[in-house]
Amino acid sequence: MMNRIRQSLELPAILSGTVAEVRAFLGTDRVKVYRFHPDGSGEVVAESVNVEHLPSLVGQHFPAEDIPPEARELFLKARQRSIVEVSAQQIGISPLDCPETGEPLDYDDIRFRPVDPCHVEYLTMMGVQSSLVVPILHQDRLWGLLVSHHRSPRRVTERELQVVQLVADQVSIAIAHSTLLSQTRAQAQQEATVNRVAKLLHSMTEMQLQQALEQIVTALQGIGGRVFIVPQHPGQAAQLVTCGEQPHLPTDWGNGDNGARGTEAKLWIAEDELPTAPQAKPPSGNPNPTAQTHPTTFEQSPAWQAWLALEATVSQNGDIWAISDLYRATLPSDLALAFLDAGVRGVLIVSLQYRQQQLGYLSVFRNEIDVETLWAGRPDRNDQRNYRPRQSFETWRELKQGQAQEWTAADIELLQAASSHFAMAIHQYELYQQVHALNADLARDIEERKQAEIAICALNAELEERVLERTAELQRANTELVREIGERERALRERQKAETSLERLSRQHALILNSAGEGIYGLDTQARFTFVNPAAARMLGYEASELIDQSMPAILKHSQPDGTPYPPEENPILATLQAGADRHLAEDLFWRRDGSCFPVEYASTPIREDGKIVGAVVVFKDITERQLVERMKDEFVSVVSHELRTPLTSIHSALGLLASGRLSPQPTKSQRMLEIAVTNTERLVRLINDILDIERINSGKVTMEKRLCNAADLMMQAVDVMQAMAEKAEVALGVVPISAQLWVDPDRIVQTLTNLLSNAIKFSPPGATVWLTAAVESGDGTIAYARPSTPTAKFQVKDRGQGIPDDKLETIFDRFQQVDASNSRQRGGTGLGLAICRSIVQQHGGHIWAESTLGKGSTFYFTLPLAQSEGEGQ
Amino acid sequence: MTTKRILIIDDEDDIREVTQVCLELSEEWEVLTAESGREGLAKAAAEQPDAILLDVMMPDMDGLTTFQRLRANPATQNIPVILLTAKTQPAEQRRFTQLDVAAIITKPYDPLYLAEQVARALS
Repeated sequence: MMNRIRQSLELPAILSGTVAEVRAFLGTDRVKVYRFHPDGSGEVVAESVNVEHLPSLVGQHFPAEDIPPEARELFLKARQRSIVEVSAQQIGISPLDCPETGEPLDYDDIRFRPVDPCHVEYLTMMGVQSSLVVPILHQDRLWGLLVSHHRSPRRVTERELQVVQLVADQVSIAIAHSTLLSQTRAQAQQEATVNRVAKLLHSMTEMQLQQALEQIVTALQGIGGRVFIVPQHPGQAAQLVTCGEQPHLPTDWGNGDNGARGTEAKLWIAEDELPTAPQAKPPSGNPNPTAQTHPTTFEQSPAWQAWLALEATVSQNGDIWAISDLYRATLPSDLALAFLDAGVRGVLIVSLQYRQQQLGYLSVFRNEIDVETLWAGRPDRNDQRNYRPRQSFETWRELKQGQAQEWTAADIELLQAASSHFAMAIHQYELYQQVHALNADLARDIEERKQAEIAICALNAELEERVLERTAELQRANTELVREIGERERALRERQKAETSLERLSRQHALILNSAGEGIYGLDTQARFTFVNPAAARMLGYEASELIDQSMPAILKHSQPDGTPYPPEENPILATLQAGADRHLAEDLFWRRDGSCFPVEYASTPIREDGKIVGAVVVFKDITERQLVERMKDEFVSVVSHELRTPLTSIHSALGLLASGRLSPQPTKSQRMLEIAVTNTERLVRLINDILDIERINSGKVTMEKRLCNAADLMMQAVDVMQAMAEKAEVALGVVPISAQLWVDPDRIVQTLTNLLSNAIKFSPPGATVWLTAAVESGDGTIAYARPSTPTAKFQVKDRGQGIPDDKLETIFDRFQQVDASNSRQRGGTGLGLAICRSIVQQHGGHIWAESTLGKGSTFYFTLPLAQSEGEGQ
Repeated sequence: MTTKRILIIDDEDDIREVTQVCLELSEEWEVLTAESGREGLAKAAAEQPDAILLDVMMPDMDGLTTFQRLRANPATQNIPVILLTAKTQPAEQRRFTQLDVAAIITKPYDPLYLAEQVARALS
């Protein structure tokens, strides 16, 4: 029996086999399988019956009240089996599990007790005297009942109960297998549907959105469906694909005659094909006359979207709305009417999203249906509360029209699975569209570029020709350029060389300017100092920087040699600036900062640039020293001229007279003229000798022929020479010689001594004594008479003459500087004697000086260094 | 022929003597001499010579000082003065020419034409 039951995996076949086998085993009039509905009612889904004894109940429904909940509870929790023996008014109970705990019981015997009379009456009305009921469980739920009826009393044995229980257990297993098979089949079918949808959507050639929509609508037993695609970017139109019945939007939603209604599906209804939203006529009395635009699809409606937001979803993601019965939904009435007008009773909506991007909605519509139910007997209208058992089990056909169809979990799962493919396909299609647009642009660009290339080729050809011409020109220009560059490089090298030279010259010039002893300054055309060298600034008593930009005439107060300031129009330097004349003057005056002036020799030269005078440079030097020297020289020349011309005049005149013969008659005068000529000739000779002598000594041309001499010898020799002159002048000579060794030119020392003695004799009155003495002086100034080791010998010549004024004690040693020239000449002096003496003494390393008291006489001293050793005279 | 008197002022004895001889040879001049400026001033004032031959470089009072004194004295201020000098430097000569002198005779002079030079100067 079990093998026959298991011959099929199909539930109806299993159940048919089961009832047949069980009836055959029990031999009863009816064996049926009763299946519970979720609402507690039930239906006979399989039956094996002896119609001659009992009526068939297969396909008939029984209300939930026929098997009360408490009875169903016992079937489920205790797996309670019941056996009713109508004739005995007993019911046998055989639970397998504890009703309270659900734990299995360790006994399975049948325990009888009185049965409820209603139950007895119910079975009696069915024509049943004996019944056996065994629950069929599936997945811990009461799936149904395996029931045996017999029209006559029949006792059910425990063995029979055990067998039937085994069958029920096998049926439970078979149901599980069958359910699993059904689920597997349903899933396979769903996957097949999804695959077909996916294949259509992901077609490489063209997305079959319309066909995919039809597939999913068909799979969900819908009467219509639609895919609404929201614009993905500004400017893009919304898109709508429909299939089957469509809601008819209210007129104030758009054009009432079009919309998406109709059974003819359209693929990709573009925005311009969608019903144009007419400008709604404002309701009467509406204060706002502003024209309003209305959405052309319900998906665009804010009311729809608000409704969706409030409506519960059936998915975890909150993106699926399963509205089985629009009558029960809170959809805005106008929308609801639009759907119901289209015969749409249920809506299954999924929001199409791809990576959090809202793409649109996929909606599937279901219509309402009529449901016919066969009931086992018609309920008593007078016994609404079932106080009495069923009086008849005659089949009653109940027809319910306009019933909504519930969306099942499988429906929702299928739509959810398909929606992901729709979303992905739409997204890809958007990308494809974008790529396509880009490709179109690209193709257009390519075409344009091709055209451009053709034009460019033509241009290139022309250009190449021009390039060739231009290249030739450039080559010529390049050759010329290379040549010019070479010339410029050479010029640059020369310029660099010149700049280097210029820099060197500039340094040299700066060095020269700074080092020059002459003052040098530059002027601009306004006679302002532009540069001043250090010598110029020093001579003028300024810092060079103080003078820059200062007015030259105001600073220098340029004057003529007598101190008269130059009027501007006569200023030589300004004349240089104005007329460009080179000026060179020798004795003008410049004024220092302290108010003093100094004679200058200067040259002013204009500075020209491009033939235009831009300034002047003035070079000057202080000629104070030079003027002094020149004055001294002039005076000396004047004196020498006078001294030479004086005797020469006498000689010339005397001899001229004699030569003329006019004095021949006068011999005395002739003689006198001769004497004058001779005397003055001698004087002239002395004078010339002295002049030549002093010049030779001073210039070093006369070599002192020094040798070792005794001072006493020199003193005595001089006295001997002058003795005759002294006697003639009636002057006595006194001498105190010392024995000191001198390293001298004896002739020159004797000349010095005789000069001094001569002067002393000349200016001493008759009867006076002129003394010549000497002493040896040590280095410390003390006198050490006759001590040969002392450093110097000091000679002195002392007279009793009229004396020499103090202011002439120094100058008398200068040339032609006599205290009284007439006296000197009267006494045969040349005015050069003392100058010669000083030169000789200085040539020997000594000193000479004079001391005098007017009216009492003078003393002339000179010193000579002593010979230091014998070897010095060798 | 009228004889004129001329005063020679010179500190050089020999020059005074030869100059006097030169002038007296012409027989136009009566010669007076003085050996210094002071003596010359006195003689000029006293003797009122027709001309003065004045040496420049003299001790004590030189010729220029003597000249200024002569010009300063009304008694001698109109007596023509001829400078007789051995100073030949251009600057000195320029200075002499600025004085109110009749002539400047440079030493050594030509003895045979001295008298003529003096006469020409005084004319």
